[in-house]
Amino acid sequence: MLQVEQLTRCFGDALAVDEVSFEVPDGHLVGFVGGNGAGKTTIMRMIMGVLAQSSGSMRWEGQELTASDRRDFGYMPEERGLYPKQSIVEQLAYLAQLHGVSRPEARDRAHELLSRFSLAERAKDKLETLSLGNQQRVQIIAAVISRPTMLILDEPFSGLDPAAVDDMVVLLREFTAAGVPVLFSSHQLDLVERLCDRIVILARGRVVADGDAEQLRRSGTIRHRLVAGTDVGWVRDLDWLQAIDVSGNTAIVQLASEADTDRLLTEAMRRGSVRELAELVPSVADIYREVTR
Amino acid sequence: MTAHDLAAPARTAADSTGSVWRLVAAREIRVKLRDRNFLVSTALMLVLVMAVLGIQFAFSGHTSTKKIAVQGPAATAVVTSASSMAQAADAKLKLVPVPANSPANVEAEVISGKADAGLLRAGDGWRLVSKSDRDAQLATYLGQAVQEDAVRRNAAAAGTSLPALQRGAHLPYGLLQPNGHDVKAARIGGVVFGMLFYLAALLFGMAIANSVVEEKQNRIVEIIAAAIPLRQLLIGKIVGNTVLAMAQVVLLALVGVGGLLVTGNSSLLGQLAGGIGWFVPFFLVGFLALAALWAVVGALATRSEDVQSTSAPMTALVAIVFFGGIFVTGTAQAVLSFVPVFSTIAMPARVLTGHATWWEPLVSLVIALAGAHAILRVAERMYRRALLQTSRKLSLREAFTGRDAEQPSRG
Repeated sequence: MLQVEQLTRCFGDALAVDEVSFEVPDGHLVGFVGGNGAGKTTIMRMIMGVLAQSSGSMRWEGQELTASDRRDFGYMPEERGLYPKQSIVEQLAYLAQLHGVSRPEARDRAHELLSRFSLAERAKDKLETLSLGNQQRVQIIAAVISRPTMLILDEPFSGLDPAAVDDMVVLLREFTAAGVPVLFSSHQLDLVERLCDRIVILARGRVVADGDAEQLRRSGTIRHRLVAGTDVGWVRDLDWLQAIDVSGNTAIVQLASEADTDRLLTEAMRRGSVRELAELVPSVADIYREVTR
Repeated sequence: MTAHDLAAPARTAADSTGSVWRLVAAREIRVKLRDRNFLVSTALMLVLVMAVLGIQFAFSGHTSTKKIAVQGPAATAVVTSASSMAQAADAKLKLVPVPANSPANVEAEVISGKADAGLLRAGDGWRLVSKSDRDAQLATYLGQAVQEDAVRRNAAAAGTSLPALQRGAHLPYGLLQPNGHDVKAARIGGVVFGMLFYLAALLFGMAIANSVVEEKQNRIVEIIAAAIPLRQLLIGKIVGNTVLAMAQVVLLALVGVGGLLVTGNSSLLGQLAGGIGWFVPFFLVGFLALAALWAVVGALATRSEDVQSTSAPMTALVAIVFFGGIFVTGTAQAVLSFVPVFSTIAMPARVLTGHATWWEPLVSLVIALAGAHAILRVAERMYRRALLQTSRKLSLREAFTGRDAEQPSRG
């Protein structure tokens, strides 16, 4: 498990990361969400040790995170690029070797992962001859080829077609199934909501929301929709609720408590038939807009 | 591959980061040996060395043979004697008499081009004829032979002998230190060494800078930095490129030495051997120090386009080392030959010209080693500071002091 505690980073007078704390438990897929400049990449670079923190700490399996721990991590940096002019299989094997894998083993793994991502026949080509989407796949292979103990992936899904996204998801699931913690950032909120065991939302260098998708949605403002047999204009006259939108026989309202649901239902039934009274749970995208506003 | 395999521990038994530089060096060498520019430039240099030697061989290495048309044994004797005089004077000239029946035939042989010149009787003496232009060498040696022949005959007529007449007229020219240094060859040798170092420092230096900025520009350096210590990356790059540079220089030297042997300049080789022997360790140490600085120059840039400007101080330094090494003489040269990096060219040049006593190159090499060590340490610090700073080009001062070296990333 990776624990980030009170992590802070200043650039001159500017506070890029402000006392950020969160956890990436073993076997969890944690999504890092936030706008440009929210601090995602800065935090990931600090976790990988390529940028020093101003203050705060990071712990790995309960101990302070060290350079030798990081050497077993897999990392995919924000701005892509391996060696454009070197053959794909050669550079993948080289990166695995840097992590201590023997050369024959490194080459075997490179070929295996390339065929998994349908790139087997391109193995000997130079990286620059691949399409951007395929280069992205190679970049992912580079992050996992050393069989890391933790994965830090900055925008791993950007630029991937839906089929590659699915391949990638299957791959990440294999890692989490084996207990490896995975932290990845993304702008694709629907994807994050669908995949992640936990979501950390950042804004202006701070954590503004942290939890699983259900917890996040529940943390937002839950509204109700009432659909009645007749006009529901009377809702506007109730002082214990807030009418958000009333039109014809449909009203969107915000209730102060769960108990008020029954109260509203009783009121409506007293005035005629009720077709629907439903909770409107916000999506993670709605939550994101709300907390990052 | 199952999920379990995927996440199995990555390390092999032989897992120590202390020797990872070998992998880096091996990659540098592998990539370079497949780089067409490198192969072509090496081949070009070899061709150049061979061409220089070939031209030298064609112009001076080989003895030219001239045919002289003659009539009668007296003329033949003069030509033979002129030929041995030329050989005794190391003039690389051989004269062969071509017998003819009559003076007219002698002239005919010359006009037809079958002979280069003709020697004809003219009264008591001789007349030398060529077709349309005069050959000064022929005139000199045939002239000497004719003169000697005439003096011998006149001496006999006067009742004395040739040695008696020539007594005291001979000026022998000896060398006080026959095993000493040929200053001209020594200076040329110094220039050639300087040139080799200059070219290697410039070409491989640029290659190192570009290889560093390539990794920085495409951010693979972040992946590598997370995987291995940056010191290992730097050492690997320096070692890989130094091995290649040494290999290239040794290859050129072998071709050059082979060329000197083939062209019969083995005595020159004997004189240069000491200089070559010293040049190799000085080259190695000097190159190591410069390679580290070139890596810094690459790390200061953020894109390969920046390398042109960040490398300006290095190209200037290398040029100063080169010109300082070959043009400075006397006391200034003696001082330079003990300054690290500068000594790479200056000290072997002093050894070649015989101005250095035996202990001087040793002391200078120790100083150069200490200098290289200091440069490597400073360079490593600057390289480390500059390498992960990707948002803009850095100045040398910023890399050295580490001030304002880090800027926010975008995410």
